[in-house]
Amino acid sequence: MATEQTTILILDDEPIVSKRLKPSLEKKGYEVETFTCSSDALKRVKERQFNIVITDLKMEGVDGMQFLTEVKEKYPDTEVIVITGFATMATAKESFNKGVFDFLAKPFKLGEIAEVISRAEEKIKNK
Amino acid sequence: MKNFLHRVGQLFQTKKQTTVPFKLIFTDFKKILNLNNQILDLIADANDKLSGDYIFDEHYIHTTCHQLTDLVRELIVLINHLTQQKYSDLYNSFHHIEEKIQAILQGDVLCPVTDFILPYSSITRDLIDAVGGKNANLAEIGFVLGFSIPDGFAITTAAFSSFWLENNLEEKVSAIIEQWQEKTIAVEEMACKIQQLIFDSTVPAKLEKEILDAAGSLTKGKQDTIPCFAVRSSAQGEDGVSSFAGQYRSCLNIPLKNLPQAYKEVVASLYSPEAMEYRLRKDFRSNEIKMSVACQLMIPAKTSGVMYSYDPVLPEEETLIISSAWGLGEPIMSGKVSTDLFVLNRQPPHEVKEVQVVRKERSMVLHGSGGIGMESVREEQQTQPSLKKQQLKMLAEIGLQLEKYFKKPQDVEFAIDQQDRIIVLQSRQLSLQQEQRPRASDLTDLGGKYPVLMQGRGIAAMKGIASGPAWVLDHDSNLQDFPMGAILVARYASPQLARVIHKASGFITDIGSTTGHLATVAREFRVPALFNTENAISLLKHGQEITLDTESLTVYEGIVHELHYYSFHEEPIEEMYEYRLLRRILKKIEPLNLFDPNDDNFTPQGCRTYHDLTRFVHEKAVETIIDLNFYHAHHRDTQAGQLVWDYPLDLILIDVGGGIEGEHDKGIRPEQISSIPMQTLLHGMSHPGIWDMSPMKVDFGSFMSSLTRTPPTGNSSPEDVGRNLAVISAEYTNINFRLGYHYTVIDAYLSDNILDNHIYFRFSGGVTDTTRRSRRTSLLNKILSHYDFLCEQHGDIIVARLKRMNKESMLKRLFLLGLLIGFTRQLDVKMVSDAKIPVYFEQIKTIMEKSHGN
Repeated sequence: MATEQTTILILDDEPIVSKRLKPSLEKKGYEVETFTCSSDALKRVKERQFNIVITDLKMEGVDGMQFLTEVKEKYPDTEVIVITGFATMATAKESFNKGVFDFLAKPFKLGEIAEVISRAEEKIKNK
Repeated sequence: MKNFLHRVGQLFQTKKQTTVPFKLIFTDFKKILNLNNQILDLIADANDKLSGDYIFDEHYIHTTCHQLTDLVRELIVLINHLTQQKYSDLYNSFHHIEEKIQAILQGDVLCPVTDFILPYSSITRDLIDAVGGKNANLAEIGFVLGFSIPDGFAITTAAFSSFWLENNLEEKVSAIIEQWQEKTIAVEEMACKIQQLIFDSTVPAKLEKEILDAAGSLTKGKQDTIPCFAVRSSAQGEDGVSSFAGQYRSCLNIPLKNLPQAYKEVVASLYSPEAMEYRLRKDFRSNEIKMSVACQLMIPAKTSGVMYSYDPVLPEEETLIISSAWGLGEPIMSGKVSTDLFVLNRQPPHEVKEVQVVRKERSMVLHGSGGIGMESVREEQQTQPSLKKQQLKMLAEIGLQLEKYFKKPQDVEFAIDQQDRIIVLQSRQLSLQQEQRPRASDLTDLGGKYPVLMQGRGIAAMKGIASGPAWVLDHDSNLQDFPMGAILVARYASPQLARVIHKASGFITDIGSTTGHLATVAREFRVPALFNTENAISLLKHGQEITLDTESLTVYEGIVHELHYYSFHEEPIEEMYEYRLLRRILKKIEPLNLFDPNDDNFTPQGCRTYHDLTRFVHEKAVETIIDLNFYHAHHRDTQAGQLVWDYPLDLILIDVGGGIEGEHDKGIRPEQISSIPMQTLLHGMSHPGIWDMSPMKVDFGSFMSSLTRTPPTGNSSPEDVGRNLAVISAEYTNINFRLGYHYTVIDAYLSDNILDNHIYFRFSGGVTDTTRRSRRTSLLNKILSHYDFLCEQHGDIIVARLKRMNKESMLKRLFLLGLLIGFTRQLDVKMVSDAKIPVYFEQIKTIMEKSHGN
């Protein structure tokens, strides 16, 4: 694990999120795939495992909570980070109950998500 | 806070009730203060989002607008409740602003001006929505960067709207686009139909007259030839994107009388198939499409040419390419004549690496009688280079400055006029054809190739990459000597550094806030800036070549070309839809137009932004409380009086329970104040030497006192007075001070119950000199943090909070606030240099130690 590139999937229906996050994370050496449509993302996770999944909650079609539930069921080792603009205690609680690694309210700073990702990476390495 | 209000309420219930008990009025007042703070914080935070350091989406913009709208509406309801609907006109101003914000949120581009014509000299970047990218860029090249540009003017989007409206084009064009969406016609047919519609339309008479008048005034005093004009597109979002620039039409050598026709031709090119497809790709919303047009006087050029700030095919060669030929530019751009080629080193002094001079037999010239034509070039001139060595060097310097400013390699069109001046005709983004597009993953091991001088320190005030020599500002250096292209390294992000914004590639400071003035300017000029690194000044050497990457908070030694190449391929964040939207919205929210309550525009009608409304309501709320309780019949449940003191602080005290003792018909003496927090504050303010450490400049001092003195009571109206108000009780104080242009709000409650104790302190500057203001904020931050306050800076507002300390510790800190109020009254005058910050910090600390120990 230590020498392999950490893989990250980003799902957010607002394209700007992926547009900003992808290059920023790639520069840090991560392998990044981005999706704006949850059913495409779902298809992709059925094909391969990602170390880290970053997802929004409120989206058209398959919503984020459902998506992350499926990801956690299929790959309990994958760490999920939730990013959302509709942060409520209830959603935060629900996502933690589903085993989400961390919860970040939008807008957030690039540095903040980078820090959460590296903590998630740390946890994966120590498994 | 709710809990606390409840307690204050309970306190008042022991008093006799009147028709409108003061506790209710005061509850409204406190709500207003609270809303005021929330609004200002939201506005400052929204501006901070433009730094590029945040990921935000459209949802955030919508939410923020809705929040702000709700808060401002509530504020207006409350002030009208407090004043029996005295300011109901505020609703009109509010609805007016709200409507505009809603329209922008829905994607409308509102023209910031209603003029049809704007001369280049009056165009700034703020007008980009009115004049389009090309005009705004060119005006900036001329009036910000200081290069020569053609005389000209913009025909604005307001003119476009008028043309559109008068010919009922919206409806007609939409109908044609619908046919295409329904796939009944092809894209080419749709384009052709729309363009024909535009050709058949009439330019409104008013617009036609204004175009002809403006063009006529450009030709005054130019008798040598019959002047002709270049009419070019300057559409929204067209600036800087090369693949887009070619889509629209330019009409050259147009005689004055044909300008209206040329205008229509250029406008029609908005609907070429290529342009329409491009806009779909770039996610342009249909209501963002409004075309402004550039109208420029043709330059009777001796030589014309094109410069690429990088070799687009071999960028790694680090060269700059210039091609030129005799005469006007048109045949050069369209490849009809052969051109000389010059290759220069990008690094100063721009040594010429390669020259290819070709035989140039024909050139395009302006005829004395008007019109243009191809002519033979004189035999001896045909094989001479069309540019001189000195001109090449000057062009290279211009090219690199444009590249730095616009953050991308540039494709520059230029002309050399009859007086041998270099005129920049246009500058736009150049696409580099790198064999392998640089990948982000190539950047993961930069630390292995370039020594890392600094990493993980500071906060990004503006995202970006910058390279150049570090220029460390110390006591001996003079900003005037700051060299072009260097990176400024300084102790403080002081606003005076903004003076070198045109020369600097980047800023690095030890101390500074991302919401300060320098941060705002850096964003405006897109100069990468890293603040709060703590010790950059000691880590970086003067003259050392460095590369700053504010996204990864890293400073490398040397020039990291990889980062630059990569950034050339990144879409500048400023051009993303969400950023454009937030910028447009903030124009209706953030600017403050109301400064002085005595100004004529300090009225509900004068409010043009949410910030104006908030400012107006706050001012009137304080005034109303004073008016209700001091100048008019007092509430029976309160006592009110004016403080009689040795210092020129005109303060109205309103006691809501146990705050004042004894008779006070002739005013309240400090010793009569039994409110513990108020007593302590006054104690601090009157500490020997604090109020008046040294004589102030006469002019400023008298200016200050004129604003802080209350005329004798009896013949005065509240509109004339300094609005200083304190609502007090035995354990509580709420203060609203205006000293000069500073606003101070203190809300403090102290009792023996630690859990209830709190101090809230808010300090903001007004319209004074920003340099000193920022020093003052730095000083306050330093002192307050030292004494355990939790400090937040929002622009030049500082908010400090303290909770749950025992009474003794709270009193000590209230005394400190007293000292600071007395002291900050003169700080703007005294903060003459950054070096004063530690001096005053030590002074305050010494006083605190003497009076309270450590």
